[in-house]
Amino acid sequence: MDLSHIRNFCIIAHIDHGKSTLADRLMQATGAVSDRELTAQHLDSMDLERERGITIKAQAVRLGYTGADKSEYQLNLIDTPGHVDFTYEVSRSLAASDGALLVVDATQGIQAQTLANVYLAMEYDLPIIPVVNKIDLPAAEPERVASEMASVFGFSDDEFVFVSAKTGEGVVEILEAIVDRVSPPKGDPDAPLRALIFDSKYDSYKGVIAYVRAVDGRLDRTGPIRLMATGATAEALEIGYFGPAMTSEESLETGEVGYVATGLKDVAACRVGDTVTIGGPSNADPLPGYEPMKPMVYTGLYPADGESFPELRDALDKLRLNDPALSFEPESSAALGFGFRCGFLGLLHMDVTQERLEREYDLTLIATAPSVGYKVMLTNGGEVEVDNPSAMPPVQEIDKIHEPWVDLSIVAPSRHIGAVMELVTSRRGEYTRMEYLQSVDSNREDSSSSAAADARVLLEYKMPMAELLVDFHSQLKSRSQGYASMDYSICESRPGDMVKLDVLVNYTPVDALSMMLHRDNAQGQGRELVSKLKKLIPRQMFEVPIQSAIGSRVVARETVKAMRKNVLAKCYGGDVTRKRKLLEKQAKGKKRMKKIGSVDVPQEAFMAVLSLERD
Amino acid sequence: MDSRVRVNPAGTPESQTTEGGSNGLSLYVHIPFCETKCHYCDFNTYAGIEALIPGYLSALETEIRFWGRGLSRPKVSTVFFGGGTPSYVPIEGIEAICAAIFEAFDVDDGAEVTLESNPGDYSRHDLTRYIGAGINRLSIGVQSLDDGLLKSLSRRHDAETAIGAYQSARQAGFENINLDLMFGLSGQTIEQWRDSVACVIALRPEHLSLYALTLEPGTPLDAMVKSGEVADPDPDLAADMYLYAESALGDAGFDHYEISNWSLPDRESRHNLAYWLNAPYLGVGPGAHSYLPNRRFAALRSPRRYVDLFGGVLPEGDPVEALSSLRILESVEPVTATMELADTMMMGMRLSRGIRTDEFLARFGTDISDVFGPLIDELSGMGLLVSDEVGIRLSDSGHLLGNEVFERFVTASAEANLPGNY
Ligand SMILES: Nc1nc2c(ncn2[C@@H]2O[C@H](COP(=O)(O)OP(=O)(O)OP(=O)(O)O)[C@@H](O)[C@H]2O)c(=O)[nH]1
Ligand code: SF4
Ligand SMILES: [Mg+2]
Repeated sequence: MDLSHIRNFCIIAHIDHGKSTLADRLMQATGAVSDRELTAQHLDSMDLERERGITIKAQAVRLGYTGADKSEYQLNLIDTPGHVDFTYEVSRSLAASDGALLVVDATQGIQAQTLANVYLAMEYDLPIIPVVNKIDLPAAEPERVASEMASVFGFSDDEFVFVSAKTGEGVVEILEAIVDRVSPPKGDPDAPLRALIFDSKYDSYKGVIAYVRAVDGRLDRTGPIRLMATGATAEALEIGYFGPAMTSEESLETGEVGYVATGLKDVAACRVGDTVTIGGPSNADPLPGYEPMKPMVYTGLYPADGESFPELRDALDKLRLNDPALSFEPESSAALGFGFRCGFLGLLHMDVTQERLEREYDLTLIATAPSVGYKVMLTNGGEVEVDNPSAMPPVQEIDKIHEPWVDLSIVAPSRHIGAVMELVTSRRGEYTRMEYLQSVDSNREDSSSSAAADARVLLEYKMPMAELLVDFHSQLKSRSQGYASMDYSICESRPGDMVKLDVLVNYTPVDALSMMLHRDNAQGQGRELVSKLKKLIPRQMFEVPIQSAIGSRVVARETVKAMRKNVLAKCYGGDVTRKRKLLEKQAKGKKRMKKIGSVDVPQEAFMAVLSLERD
Repeated sequence: MDSRVRVNPAGTPESQTTEGGSNGLSLYVHIPFCETKCHYCDFNTYAGIEALIPGYLSALETEIRFWGRGLSRPKVSTVFFGGGTPSYVPIEGIEAICAAIFEAFDVDDGAEVTLESNPGDYSRHDLTRYIGAGINRLSIGVQSLDDGLLKSLSRRHDAETAIGAYQSARQAGFENINLDLMFGLSGQTIEQWRDSVACVIALRPEHLSLYALTLEPGTPLDAMVKSGEVADPDPDLAADMYLYAESALGDAGFDHYEISNWSLPDRESRHNLAYWLNAPYLGVGPGAHSYLPNRRFAALRSPRRYVDLFGGVLPEGDPVEALSSLRILESVEPVTATMELADTMMMGMRLSRGIRTDEFLARFGTDISDVFGPLIDELSGMGLLVSDEVGIRLSDSGHLLGNEVFERFVTASAEANLPGNY
C-alpha cells in the first residue's frame, strides 16, 4: 500500500485501563475480526494472559479502514502490556510505531505507568493521541481526567478523544484521529530492504519467525534474506501480516508490519532489534535496534526432576526469541543440581516466565529465592558482581557490598500520602519529591477538604531494589485501599549493610535457600523462613533441625519431630496389589524430593522463600 | 502354629498348585451387606440393598461351585467370611453357603472357618447354628468399648452389647474368638484406650486385632476431617496408644505375632497368615481378590452386576479366563518373579517372625543377602531391622515405621536379579 495510506501506532496505558478492550473495538469497527469470532481482549491470546486478565506480550494486528475521506487506509496496531515488568515490550512497540494512543481510565486518571509510558513515547518523539476511556462507568470523570492530563502532559482541550471501549462510543473518532494525527511511515520504497525485527518466536515447522516492520524497501520471496547482526542468511519461507492470526501474502511493502518465517532452526541466529535485509551484497546500514535490557531480579531455575537440564536449555533458548528481556546462564546447586541463573525485569516477569516454560515446554521447575545483583568490593581491591547469594565471597574477603537502588514513583490520592510514606521509609526508602497531578485552580472551583483529599499526587523516592522484592507491591495496594500505583527503574548502586542468610537442614547448608538481606531484616526473615520450612518438610525417621544463620550465628531454629508412625494397619481382603502400589507411590513421592544430606525435602520447600512477607 | 495348616512360604509355584501337598487354599467369602455404612469405611459393602440378599446368596453358591469344578475340588485349609457384615444376613444363608463350600471344596478336617460379625446382630441369631454349619471361629467388630466413641464412629452398638455378644458366643460354644478394636480415633484419649484394652484383656479372647484408624480418601469421615468438622487424628497419640497396648498385651500373655495382631499361643489367624506368607488364596464375591499361582485377580465390585452375571451361562475351561471373558473378573495381573519377591517381603515383614533365610532360599533359589544385603545393612544400621542367621524382621521400633521399611524392599525388589531358573 502507498506509504501515505499506512499508519503504524501502538496503544499504551497503565495496567487495566482498557488497551486490549479498545483494540477489540477497533478490530470490530474495521471488520478485522467478525463479531462471531471476537472474544473479549481478543489479542490476549496466551492462556496465561486470559487467565490473569492482563496482557503480557505486545501483539500486532492489521486493520483495513475506509476513512471519512473515503480512502482506504492500512492501520497497523500494536497492543502493549501495561505492567511495569513488561515495559520492554512497550519500548520495542514504540520503536516500530509512528504514533501512540495513550489510554487513561476515566475513573482512575493518571497512574504511574501512564507517566512512565508517556516518557518512553516522548523519547521516540512520537505524536500521542490522548484517549479518555471507560466513560460509560458511573464513576467516570472524563473532564477532570482530561484536565489532569492536560496539566501534566500539556495536551490541549481539542486533542482528547472520549471513548468507551465497552460500548464502542468514540471509536470512529479514534480511527479518524489516527489517520489525521499519526504520521505516515517515512521509509524509502526504492532503497534496499531494511526491516526492523521487533519480536520473534519459534515454530517447530517454520523455524524462527521474525516479526518485522519494513522500514525501507520491500520484503518478498524473490531471494534469500540476511540478518545483519548475526550474518545469518535464510529463505523467506512465508511472509505475511497479523490479521490478527498470521495471514500469508506475497510481500511486505515499505512501512508495513508483518512477519517472515525463516526456517532457521538455530535460535541464536535471530535477535530482536536486528535488521533484515536482502541476502546478496547490500550497502544498507543496520537500523538502530534496541538497547538490551538489564535484568533487575535474578533467580535460579532448575528442572524439578533433576534431569531435564538439556530440555530446559532448549526451552529457554526458544522462549528468549519471544521474550528478549529474559537472560540466563547455566549454574549449579548442591541441592538442586544443574539449572540456570535467570535474569528478569521483575517478579511478575519471573513468575510468568516460569509458567510459560512449564506450559509451553512441558517442564516442571523449581525457582530459588529472587535476588538483585550486588557489586561486591573485595578486600584485595577487586570487584565482583554477584547475583546469586550462594556465590557470595566469604565474609572476610568482602570489603563492601553495593546494592542497586531504584527511582520509585508512586501515584496515589493525597489522603494516602501518609500510609505510602510510612511504607517506603520502613523499606529504607528516601523521599525525593512530590507533585500534585492537577493544579488546584484548574477546572474545579471547590477546594473543599474532600476534594483536596481526592487530589492525586506523584510521590518520588529512592529505595533499595531488594526492598521491592519482598511483598512491597501488595503492601502498597493494601495500605492505599488499592488506589496507589507504582513504577520504578534502577538508578544507582549504594553501599548497604547486607548479610547473607543461610538455611541449614539437619546442619547441612542448603545453597538454594540462601538469601541476601539487609542486616535489620535478616533476623525476622530468618525466623519466618524457618517456620515456613517446618510446615513444608515432612517428618522423617529422625528429628530434623532447621536453622537459619548469618555466618556462624544461628538466628532461628525449628525442629521437625521424628516420624513415629507410618504403617498400614489393615490387610484387607487380600488386596496385595493395592498395597504394593501404595508403597510404590510413597517411594515415588520421595524420589521427587530433593536430598539434603539424608533429609528428603519437597519441592515446595524451595518455593517458601517466594511467599515471604514482611512485618 | 498348627502344623496341619501351616502354609509353606517356601513353596515353589508348582507346590502352590491347589492339588499338591497338605497345604490347601485359603478361601475368602465376601458378604457385601451392612445395616448402615460406617463413615470411615471404604470396603466394598452397601447398606439398603437387602432385597438383593437372596439373589446374592444363590449367585455366591454358583460361584463357589464354579470354582470347585474349575479347580477340581481343591484342598481348602481356611475359610473366612468377611465383608461387609456376614452376621447381618440370615443364618440360613450362611448355612447354605457353608454346605456349598464343603461340597465343592475338599475342606481340611481341622480347617479354620471364621465369620466376621457385628455385636448388634447377635440377639437375632441362634449362634449354635453357626457352629453346626462348620464355623469354628468368630471375629467380633467391637471397635471400641466407649459408647461416645462408638457413636462418633457411627457404629450401631454400645459397649454393653459388645461384651454381651462376646459372652453369648462363649456360651454358644465358640472356643476361638477374635475381637477387633480401633485406636487413634478423633477425640479418643489415652485413658479411654487404656480402659478398652484392660477390658478386652479381662475378657481373654484368643485373638485381638488392633487397628489404627486410617482416613480413607473418599469416605465421609475423610471429608469431615478435611472440612474441619472432625479433628484430624493425631498420629503421635496413636503411636502412644499402640505402644501402650503392645506392653499391656505382652504382660497379659498375648503374643504380638503381626503388626496389628495379637493372639494367645497357637491361636494366630491361620487365614490371615496365608496373606502374610504370600500363599495362594481364592476370594469369592464382588470385589474379592485372589492369588493363584502366577496371577492375582479381583472380581467386579458391584453386587448387582455380580448377581446378574452369575445368573447367566458360565463358560467351561480355565476358570480365570472364563470369568474374565464375562467381565466378572477385572484386573487379572500376572505376577512376575520380582512382584512375588516384593509381595513376599512387604507382607512377610509384617509378621514378628519376619522372613526366614531358609524359606527365602527355598522359594527364590538364592540367598536373601545376595538380593537385599546392602539394604538389610542400611535398615539394620537405622535400627529398623534385626537380622541374624534365622532371618530378618522388623525391630521393635520398626513396627510403627513398617511402611518405611516395606517401601525400600518393594523398590529394591523391582530391581532384583533372581536366578534365571526361577
Ligand atoms: N466499563 C468499562 N470497562 C472497560 C472499558 N474498557 C476496558 N474495560 C474493562 O477493564 C478491564 C481491563 O481491560 P483490558 O482491556 O484488559 O485492559 P488493558 O489495558 O489491556 O490491561 P493490561 O494489558 O493488563 O495492561 C476489563 O475488565 C475490561 O472489560 C470501558 O470502556 N468501560
Ligand atoms: S460394619 Fe464394617 S464393613 Fe460394614 S460399614 Fe461398618 S466398618 Fe464397613
Ligand atoms: Mg491488555
